[in-house]
Amino acid sequence: MPERIDRRIGHDRLLFVVVVIILAAAAAGVYVWTLMRSPGVQQNAEAPSQPALAKPPRADEPLMITLYFPSDGMLASGSAAVKRQPDGQSQAREILAAMLGDQRAAQTALLKDIRLRELYLDATGTAYVDLAAAPQKEIRASAGEELTAIYAIVNALTQNLEEIKRIRILLDGREAQTLAGHIDLTRTFGERMDLVKQ
Amino acid sequence: MIIFVSLLSVPSGTFSAEKGLTVRGVRYFSYTTFTRIVFEIEAAAPYVLTRTAGGGALLFSAYEGPFMLKAQLPVIHDGVVSGVESKEEAGRNVILINLDTAAGDVKDFVLRGPDRIVLDIAKGTASSAQAAQADKPVVVVLDAGHGGRDTGIVTARGQEKSMTLELAHAVRKILQKDSRLRVVLTREKDQALSLDERAGIANAAGATLVVSIHASAGSAGRVYILDPDDDLAGQEAVRPSSNRDFLSFEAGSEEQEKLWGRQQAAHTKESGGFGRELARQLGGGEGAEPVQAPIAGLKAMDAAAAMVEIGMEQDRAKAAEAIAKGIEQYARENR
Repeated sequence: MPERIDRRIGHDRLLFVVVVIILAAAAAGVYVWTLMRSPGVQQNAEAPSQPALAKPPRADEPLMITLYFPSDGMLASGSAAVKRQPDGQSQAREILAAMLGDQRAAQTALLKDIRLRELYLDATGTAYVDLAAAPQKEIRASAGEELTAIYAIVNALTQNLEEIKRIRILLDGREAQTLAGHIDLTRTFGERMDLVKQ
Repeated sequence: MIIFVSLLSVPSGTFSAEKGLTVRGVRYFSYTTFTRIVFEIEAAAPYVLTRTAGGGALLFSAYEGPFMLKAQLPVIHDGVVSGVESKEEAGRNVILINLDTAAGDVKDFVLRGPDRIVLDIAKGTASSAQAAQADKPVVVVLDAGHGGRDTGIVTARGQEKSMTLELAHAVRKILQKDSRLRVVLTREKDQALSLDERAGIANAAGATLVVSIHASAGSAGRVYILDPDDDLAGQEAVRPSSNRDFLSFEAGSEEQEKLWGRQQAAHTKESGGFGRELARQLGGGEGAEPVQAPIAGLKAMDAAAAMVEIGMEQDRAKAAEAIAKGIEQYARENR
């Protein structure tokens, strides 16, 4: 009998140790999982099982943007890839440079005749887009062409960059009445998605 | 004697009333419906325009500070103005504009870059204007877009400036058959006009309806009306009032010049209806709507106003008929 009692006590101790080990392992697992979820660890952790979208974009990774081009009195949208820039102002310049350099702009009245001189972004979210006539070009366009060209610029900036809310367009560094005689440049422009073809 | 003070709107910091007003040139133009006198000034400053008690003359001077005249005054004798002279009144220099029997209402406004003060003296005496008020014709202003060195677009079918003028003449020819309509063109020939000058002509003519005529490549036409400017949201539009001075603004108001370019805001509803009628007649069908856009040339029009854009490939005679029909139809239903 005493032998049997000692063996039973020995089994109970073993069971207790196993339970403690299991609980310790579970606690360690929860701790590691929590650490893995925190941003600091996530950035450093090499976790191939993490979904690709959660990864921050790399600086050399292109930025996919939506551009707008005049088409039959409306705006047609299309996508393009541009170089990622460190700040909103530089990114806005990159977007407009891509737009004006696009083959679709080269075939469009007004957009084919202008170049971007400068672009400034103020703290209120207004981007000042300073345009000029391209070398040996005259800015000529009908009212419809002028309207869609201006909103191609406005929509490209407001749709791709959250920090840009409104646009002012300047000509040769100064406020101008119009670009081609029709559309009032003395106001600020907000996006016009009703001009985009569905 | 009634005194009207006009304040030029200039960026703060550049404005100085103490410097007075210096006139470095005076020009005038006799149009069929009014006489325009343009004072070219050296720098923006407040001025005073006074009509004498009998209404026979206008006195023009600086509001404060010296008033300098550095130009020769033109000889005007066109039935509206009988002479312009420089003189001293109550110890200050003034320009005296003697009005003739045909002189009617006077409007003044300011143009910038270079700075100018413009007086438009309408043809028609106050009494005849009152008599005509009872059976006032609808004044239709046709504004042929572009002109002079500004050719507008150029296609194989020609220059936009020529097409718009041709259309304006064709529309006038049709409308002249209707005795209730009086038609005024902003330009009769190949001539450069600024957008402010076009609005000045339309407003001085007492326009009821304004159609700005433009062209586009291709065969599609479109009608535009001015869309509301968000920047001006919450601000009061320029509305007709019984207490109006030469400028059609509140007498003595410091907002006179600030309000230039906002006249159209008071006509949003009428312009919408007028634009719809033109869009319908130009082939858009019953539900046709004009496109709302920030059209610079419509901002200062003090009337129901729309811009039509006619395709260069379109049949011009038919386009002229459609514009004329839209004007007649709207005038008939809204008068």
